[in-house]
Amino acid sequence: MTMTKDHIGGLIFLLLSIAYGYYARQIPLLPGDEFEPFHAQSLPNALAIIGAALAFVLLITASKQPDDRLRLSGYHFLLVAKLLLLTVAFALALNWIGFLLATLLFLIGGYWLLGERRIKVLLIASVPFAVAIWFILTQLLDIYLAPGRLFAGLGG
Amino acid sequence: MLDGLMAGLTTAVMPFNLLMVVVGCFAGTFIGMLPGLGPISAVALMIPVTYGLDPSSGIILMAGVYYGAVFGGSTSSILINAPGCASTVVTSFDGYPLAQQNQAGKALALAAYSSFTGGTIGAIILLFAAPALATVSLSFQSSDYFALMILGLTAVAAFSGKGQVIKALIMTTFGLMIATVGTDVTSGTTRFTFGSVDLIDGISFLLLAMATFALTEVIMTVLKGQHAQEEAQMDMSQLGSMKLSKTEVREVAPTVARSSVFGFLIGVLPGAGATIASFLAYGFERNLASAKEKLKFGKGALRGLAAPESANNAASTGSFVPLLTLGIPGSGTTAIMLGALIAYGIQPGPRLFVDNPDVFWSVIISMYFGNLVLLILNLPLIPYISRLLVIPRPILIPLILFFSITGVYLVSFNTFDIHMMVLITVIAIGLKLLEFPMAPMLLGFILGGLMENNLSRALMISDGSFAFLWERPLSASIVAIALLVLIVPPLLEHWNQRKGRSKGIESAVNEGEG
Repeated sequence: MTMTKDHIGGLIFLLLSIAYGYYARQIPLLPGDEFEPFHAQSLPNALAIIGAALAFVLLITASKQPDDRLRLSGYHFLLVAKLLLLTVAFALALNWIGFLLATLLFLIGGYWLLGERRIKVLLIASVPFAVAIWFILTQLLDIYLAPGRLFAGLGG
Repeated sequence: MLDGLMAGLTTAVMPFNLLMVVVGCFAGTFIGMLPGLGPISAVALMIPVTYGLDPSSGIILMAGVYYGAVFGGSTSSILINAPGCASTVVTSFDGYPLAQQNQAGKALALAAYSSFTGGTIGAIILLFAAPALATVSLSFQSSDYFALMILGLTAVAAFSGKGQVIKALIMTTFGLMIATVGTDVTSGTTRFTFGSVDLIDGISFLLLAMATFALTEVIMTVLKGQHAQEEAQMDMSQLGSMKLSKTEVREVAPTVARSSVFGFLIGVLPGAGATIASFLAYGFERNLASAKEKLKFGKGALRGLAAPESANNAASTGSFVPLLTLGIPGSGTTAIMLGALIAYGIQPGPRLFVDNPDVFWSVIISMYFGNLVLLILNLPLIPYISRLLVIPRPILIPLILFFSITGVYLVSFNTFDIHMMVLITVIAIGLKLLEFPMAPMLLGFILGGLMENNLSRALMISDGSFAFLWERPLSASIVAIALLVLIVPPLLEHWNQRKGRSKGIESAVNEGEG
């Protein structure tokens, strides 16, 4: 049997709906809620059933053409993973080294990952931009940006 | 109506709001010209900016960005045959051949005139249609609202193209599921938070919209390797004259008029946006043409360019009708605007007309200004705006990434949101690879809370009986329409398949829900 995109999608949503339905039963109810026509569990329960039913229909009606198989060749997954990791690192850096430095490193890292190697370009495209954004936010719009724990810890 | 019109005019001509129209149109044109980023991404990127503005200015800015992005999309379709969004795919059919014949200037001008006429005719019809519909919808009750939301959700699924109806319905359900995360408003209990404090308020609309439409779209261009492609060169010296001759104007005038009205009507249907309108208008115009003219279509026919351009702009305007009067968005882009309005504490729908007439009317008035700005300012500046496209992708992509991440971070100042965005982006990329449409999910998410409230109220009133769905004639007719919308397209598809006919609309519709 050919496993097409529809089959994979259907299976994922079937499992999701079952898990969702399971957790929907765990939602705490107020005393007496079970006698009410509508409570916190009503919609989640209904959605779990509808979701599972739709996923089931998708599985049954799924295309069986070999063309619809999931093909993952030719995509730059590694690069995307690196970019997303850079984003996560940016979030962590925001807490530790503050907005300005984190932005600077994020931009340089992003340009570098996408193939820009000229140091001059890396700096020109990041330093003025990061400083300008930081200046607009803190000086013009008067938004407080925490300096980062590292500097705060140093007494800054 | 005149009072409202005057109030809207006063709000719309305030210098700051005029500035917002101009800024919106420019920003939209630029973002729309970038291949891969369409109106949805452009409007999503603007949400954080609008949070600092008052509701009318915010919505005016977003509307400006919307037309700008549609216009920018057609510019890149004509100049480099790279449509920025699905609704301008048809523009490239005849626009690009014209550019190859050194008539790019003429093609751009015709696109701008058609867009202007389409947008203006659309805005005039909107002026009369929206208040009329709003007056009717004032008599709506919770049960009617619930039925209306069902209609909105099913319509988006039904228009999502061949073989996609089930997938779109699944995505709508998925959106509704995401909307249930957080604190339940009626009972105050937490749902699906798994003990996390960060999830008690639920997932914010801004975060979901930015992650699925801005971040994911940019990451997808990297995933497909488009970041490393050579920039398509636009030779501005070959632009040619921007003037149209009298005979040419006479040739396209009826087409523009027809397609504008047609596009507006399609745009009003909940779920059918500019993309479907442009495809249908093109097909319709080709069918009307004589056998000799038919041969010209696809090789640079002026009518083939004018039809989709007027239709997609008129449809963009038309999609504001269900948004402003019923609170049901007509396209993915208006769905984002709906979310933004709700974030302002404004409830779009019948009450908007009564409670916030300034927002209601200033949006309509600013549409004229938006169209004027596009025609007077943007068209002559196209050669300069397109220079911005020369910024190399390795520089542009991290910048867009940065804007989408900080746009969310600077509202909440919580780095958890950035992690959440990355997680949602990963899920969205997976779903995109499996060809699941994204707009229905966002719509389900936005309407989820409202739908639950109205259903809960309607059920409480009717003591737990679902009879309200068929006992109130209004609710019953809306539910009937929803069922029809859901059942008819698959039946038509089945019927067409049996007759061996196929249409080219679906593939493009699946790509973008603009």
